[in-house]
Amino acid sequence: MQHRQGVLAFDVSFHLAQPWTVLFGPSGSGKTTVLRAIAGLMRPDAGRIVLHRAVPSILFDSATGAFLPAYRRSVRLAAQVAALFPNRTVRQNIAYGVPSASAGIVEEALERFHLTGLAESPPWKLSGGERQRVAVARAAASAITIGTGSLLLLDEPFAGLHLPLRDELLDDLRGWLGAKKTPVLSVTHDVGEAFQLGAEVIKFSDGRVVEQGPVETVLAEERARLLEQLSRLQR
Amino acid sequence: MDFEALWLTLRLAASTTAILLLIALPLAWWIASGKGAGRAVVQALVALPLVLPPTVLGFYLLVMLGPLTAPGRMLTHLFGHALAFSFSGLLIGSALYSLPFAVQPLVAGFGVVDRGYVEAAATLGASPWRTFWSVVMPLSRASLLTSAVLAFTHTVGEFGVVLMIGGNIPGATQTLSISLYDQVQDFNYRAANRTALVLVVISLAALIVIYSRRGSGLGRGELV
Repeated sequence: MQHRQGVLAFDVSFHLAQPWTVLFGPSGSGKTTVLRAIAGLMRPDAGRIVLHRAVPSILFDSATGAFLPAYRRSVRLAAQVAALFPNRTVRQNIAYGVPSASAGIVEEALERFHLTGLAESPPWKLSGGERQRVAVARAAASAITIGTGSLLLLDEPFAGLHLPLRDELLDDLRGWLGAKKTPVLSVTHDVGEAFQLGAEVIKFSDGRVVEQGPVETVLAEERARLLEQLSRLQR
Repeated sequence: MDFEALWLTLRLAASTTAILLLIALPLAWWIASGKGAGRAVVQALVALPLVLPPTVLGFYLLVMLGPLTAPGRMLTHLFGHALAFSFSGLLIGSALYSLPFAVQPLVAGFGVVDRGYVEAAATLGASPWRTFWSVVMPLSRASLLTSAVLAFTHTVGEFGVVLMIGGNIPGATQTLSISLYDQVQDFNYRAANRTALVLVVISLAALIVIYSRRGSGLGRGELV
């Protein structure tokens, strides 16, 4: 995919091979733009985005002019800003993208994200962290109900959360989505989060893919730097 | 009190409001959803009745709806009678004249609904139709109310267009404002006073409805 946005020129090419893949890179490197292009919220200048299901689904192809609108893609996105519908409760927000036949998934999501007690609350009563959890639960529940061939995009899903809670939620989410066979592409600039997920990592810099592979290989340098910083602080 | 004129005015205002909401909702959403020369031109055309003398609009409509033009002949054929000096003609004139009063509040209301909500709905698989009715409209209810009330009251109070296109036919095209004009012409100030008071009461009540909804929490479009 190629795209020019402001001073940043994107030239990105990658395949998702693992159940959970992390786009890793510094702020402003274009990670969010890539997620938005996959979700169908923006049209790249050139390139091709294909979702491989039983039958490949072409989301975008500049050569043929194909562009599948966001709502027709089997892709769900939890953006950085929660954007919870203010006229709906937490439960109704999560149920928004879930067909009524799969209503059980809403209760499951509420439980897994520790939101059962807040189910009937309006979004304006929630803290920032709670809103973010609802947004991820909403996108995940919807992606799961699509079934085979869906893709869940998470843009810094638990940024700013209390670390123990973040770790617990990430572990739980990974287990849940793994069991439901829902692949994930998430964005982070947090080395700890990438290692915790043990995911395939696509390292991103200035709109380009620098490296792709297992987290231990791709982020070895960042990990060493972090450990060195910590040991220096201990001394 | 000219009850016939009052009934005709209320019937005209209610019908005009219903027609205008059907037209204004998609039109305002289209205007608010993007930028470009096309939208600017349409918005200018919609706003034109705000700056045009009503008699100018009335004159053009009179000509357009009459037998001298092709659209006029077509409409006459379609309705089975000439539209000028009829209730149907009055309805068309009122709808055009009050169009900006129905569209502008909705454009403003839709404009403050953060795009993040629309994008969130789309990435949850909601079609544009569902997104509009389940996300955008609930956040724009205050604008919808303002739009409906302004369209209604503006139609109640219109004079120039009605006179030009409808004339002054009791029971068919004579609205309250025309009746008031007649009463003053006849030096019947007592009747004119009552008619004017009815118009003031209708307008004031409508404005109270709009302002009492302010701060009720409806129409908040900020992102949370």
